[in-house]
Amino acid sequence: MTDLFTVARKEFLDLRRDRLFLIVISFLTAVTLVSVAVGAADFRAQLEAYNRYVADLAAAGTGVVPAAPQLFPLQLLRGGIEYLEILGALFAIVLGYGTVAKEKHRGTLQLFLSRPVSRFAFAGGKVAGLSAVWLGVVLLLTAFSTIAVITIGGGAVTGVDLGRLAITACFMWLYLVFWTALAVGLTSLAARLSTGLIVALVVWLAFVLVIPQIGDTMDPDNQVPGGLFAALQIKKSDELGVLAQFAGFDGIRNGLEVSSITKHFERLSFAFLGIKAQYNGQSIPVVWAAMLPYAITLTVATIASVIFSAVATTRRTLQRKQS
Amino acid sequence: MMNVFFASAQQEMLSVRRARIAHVLLAVFLGMVSVSSIIGWVTTTTVTSVYEKILAGGLTAAPNPFTGVPALYYARNSVIYVILIGALMAIVLGAQATLRDRKSATTSLILSRPVGTPVRLGGQLAGLGIVIFTVLAISMAINWAAISVITRAPLGTDATLRLLGFAACAWMLLMIFTIIGMLGGIFSKRETTALLVPFVVWSGLTFVVPQLGTAARPVALLNPVPILAPTGGPFDLLAAITAPLSITEQFKRAASILLQDPNVSGNPLSSVIVLIGFLLLATIVVTLVPRQKLRSALND
Repeated sequence: MTDLFTVARKEFLDLRRDRLFLIVISFLTAVTLVSVAVGAADFRAQLEAYNRYVADLAAAGTGVVPAAPQLFPLQLLRGGIEYLEILGALFAIVLGYGTVAKEKHRGTLQLFLSRPVSRFAFAGGKVAGLSAVWLGVVLLLTAFSTIAVITIGGGAVTGVDLGRLAITACFMWLYLVFWTALAVGLTSLAARLSTGLIVALVVWLAFVLVIPQIGDTMDPDNQVPGGLFAALQIKKSDELGVLAQFAGFDGIRNGLEVSSITKHFERLSFAFLGIKAQYNGQSIPVVWAAMLPYAITLTVATIASVIFSAVATTRRTLQRKQS
Repeated sequence: MMNVFFASAQQEMLSVRRARIAHVLLAVFLGMVSVSSIIGWVTTTTVTSVYEKILAGGLTAAPNPFTGVPALYYARNSVIYVILIGALMAIVLGAQATLRDRKSATTSLILSRPVGTPVRLGGQLAGLGIVIFTVLAISMAINWAAISVITRAPLGTDATLRLLGFAACAWMLLMIFTIIGMLGGIFSKRETTALLVPFVVWSGLTFVVPQLGTAARPVALLNPVPILAPTGGPFDLLAAITAPLSITEQFKRAASILLQDPNVSGNPLSSVIVLIGFLLLATIVVTLVPRQKLRSALND
């Protein structure tokens, strides 16, 4: 265990001094803040348009006024969550790759393996160190996002909202650890370092971008701008009744979506932050009960990824021909 | 000089042919573009069935939104695969091209000969351009055949020319990302950064820049149709500034018009000009790389 902690501590210190890591995290923070600012500006533009419309109605002497757009502060984080889904996973892969690659390039791996270290010290230490770093990053991102929602977005954040944010932060952390551990395992397995990175990137491309995109494409309601059922003026109950007759197609579509861990993370975070209309305003226990299957799969997937990295990172795989 | 140019191009094509990972990426791209027509067809057929059920139930009197959609509608998903898979493939090919010389330390040997940097890099770029052209040609041929089978009639001259126009736009976009990858391979001190920086640039161009002007969420930008900017607030100004820089959105616009997507109208010329402008600029930048820079060693 001492070996493992030593490796983890060294990894933590290494990354604290790593300029690439700083650039990556700064970029992720910046885009999260930008998305809050853009979301807030979009809401203000909607409100201005609404006020103009109401003024026009009043001038025309119409008494019926439509409901004003309402700001749900945590919904301003939608863009930030989507950035974390896409870019956070990408950066987690790059850091996972980098942690193995640097030891191989510098020749420190041979030195490390010449010592009487335990079987899981290298992989376990690396993943533990990176997990600690990601925990710090998630805390930082959550703090910045909350401040941005209050200051830039002009929203009020309640104690319950902070609880929702804390739960979402836990899932963010699991999601990032999943990708980092996967990259550590794939890089260790690959004879050429660049192959390990590119294979991890292909997996990222498939599961983060392509599969969810196919699922979205196959959604009947995404075929027409504004939604097919809205365009045809179909009520929700009728919509569900019609779709029930296409359960097979919808099953395949949903199956594609849930085969991606990104969708699990997205559904969880959108539910807890009230981004998904169905869960907006629901209490945390109600959302938790509905989201439990996704929470279990995300946790199990992360544990599996960590185990994979530990099993794949052996003396033999690490000492294979280098690029 | 031309000999060096052709030799560099030929060597680049040979290297891609030998690189297994390049094959994987090319296969993924070809596979996805090929199945995109089938995905489009299955979805359109299902949505038409959904509409017919709604109509039979007397729930709507609106016309079927898919009545009269052009045959090229089935190719619309290819647009997004060019931006997602194609662009990342192009970055990897570009970065590997310039990293290869640095890793094997052959740059000094090459530059000890009377070889100009623009000729060497231009040759490599030309080689990659031919590779990407070939991949796009194959994918368009597959698309053409798939759509012809789905619509039970060979695509006509107009549709075929439109498909070729789409392929030309895709080639320009992918060449821009190839150059970004090459520059990453030249200027980065580490192999990790050589791939990461172009990926960050790609994400900036694909998600961040369009989001500033359109308020679109990142995932919404993965739709094949370009996002329209909202009006009012700061968006009028932001959209005017960011629209020409959003090359992926410009590509989507040009592609949607060429593929006759009913949701997008207008003339694709302005978007094509933006793509050409970016490609020229990127080509000039890569050919102006200082000779000394090519010799720099990798830190890892």
